[in-house]
Amino acid sequence: MSVDRLPTYSVAELNTAIGSLLERGFAPRFLLEATVSRPQLKKGHLWLTLTDGTTSISGVVWASKLAQLSYQPKDGDGVTVVGKLNFWAARASLTVQALDIRPSLSTVLRDFERVRQLLEQEGVIDPKRQRPLPSQPSSIAVLTSVPSSALADMLRTAAERWPLTQLFVVPIPVQGSVAPMIISTLESLAERSTELGLQALVLARGGGSREDLAVFDNEVLCRLLAHYPIPVVTGLGHEDDLTVADLVADHRSATPTAAIVALLPDREAERQGLVQRQSRLKDALLGRIHRERQRLQDQAVALQQQSPLEKIRRLRQGLAQKHQLLKALSPERWLKRGLALISNEAGESISGLESVKIGDQLNIRMSDGSLEARVDQIQRSEPNTTS
Amino acid sequence: MSKRQVNKEHRDRIEVWRKDAEGLSYEEAMQALDLLLAELQNDNVPLADLQQKVLHGEVYLRRCQNLLDSVEKSIIELDPTTLNATNNA
Repeated sequence: MSVDRLPTYSVAELNTAIGSLLERGFAPRFLLEATVSRPQLKKGHLWLTLTDGTTSISGVVWASKLAQLSYQPKDGDGVTVVGKLNFWAARASLTVQALDIRPSLSTVLRDFERVRQLLEQEGVIDPKRQRPLPSQPSSIAVLTSVPSSALADMLRTAAERWPLTQLFVVPIPVQGSVAPMIISTLESLAERSTELGLQALVLARGGGSREDLAVFDNEVLCRLLAHYPIPVVTGLGHEDDLTVADLVADHRSATPTAAIVALLPDREAERQGLVQRQSRLKDALLGRIHRERQRLQDQAVALQQQSPLEKIRRLRQGLAQKHQLLKALSPERWLKRGLALISNEAGESISGLESVKIGDQLNIRMSDGSLEARVDQIQRSEPNTTS
Repeated sequence: MSKRQVNKEHRDRIEVWRKDAEGLSYEEAMQALDLLLAELQNDNVPLADLQQKVLHGEVYLRRCQNLLDSVEKSIIELDPTTLNATNNA
């Protein structure tokens, strides 16, 4: 190849040619996975180095874009950048212009662990701090993205379960510095909670990636939730997603819909309760009448027992019983079996020979009469020797 | 007092209870009903008042039922910055 056939450029021409080549030959937008190194704010723009540990390229987030980002990259954060190439012809320098930067999953989980450990050590995360939820709240606030399928699901569930609760829907911003905005909204809402009659707060966000929920690991936001004046219920992301906000909340539901189910009573169950009360009301009347009737009957019986005739009858009955007893105890029955009662002239009972002498006049009483006898002879029995 | 007068007085009283109950929330009406039930279940209520108490309980019960049957739901969207209502869906 001869020197004559080589293209010849001025520096400006060369740089312009490179620029135009890049413009035509390179993807207008791409995703770049990298680690952020040395981020620096200069005149409102964020300059940073994007690296994989060995190779690197410089990057920039223009101030106008920076304000819209929900996440501010820190040194060492793993990120996914939506970017395009910027080539500055003046110095032939190449930079990735970031249109969006999101933390990578590992960054999000690292932040989650950091905040969780900190708040656990301080006792801010503590299941014992969880407050009971109101049983039939008259008014609740729902913080969620508007419009969203999560909100639609929640409103439908609320209408089905419990139409008596007033819902205040407060949109959660999805762009820009989301955390400070949510914090500010939560603070104003806390101040007005009494005025609005709020009895609970639902913080909800429909499914997406775990990275989308990173804002709910924000330390300041979570501290605010932990000390919120009314009970907080979270329904964030999917069933498996756990954020620090879930840990400081008074109740964690797996999904936005589940949060509404946890907070609002079930209309059908309540209807059953009413049916039961209706029958208790009816029973209270019938039962009482039944008991009063029974009492009346008992008193009629008691009254009857107080009548003079009844008294005389009872006295007679007592007397007859005593008579029977007396008869049972009298010696008459011994006489009937052939035994006799002996008494002396003085009428004293004789039970042995000591009080009898020859010539005494004795009376012998038997079952059918008595006879008079005189003692002619006294014969003592021989003492019993066969023992 | 004639029977007709008694009936009218009776109806008027129920009407007053009904109006009072209209001002109660579901929870309040339910509480009032439960209190009445507890009272009725011990036998201290004079027999003469029994029927009245049961009717009063039924007024509370009906209030709860009506509230449960209502389909209206109230949703107010608040502006996240000012917390003023932005609509009344």
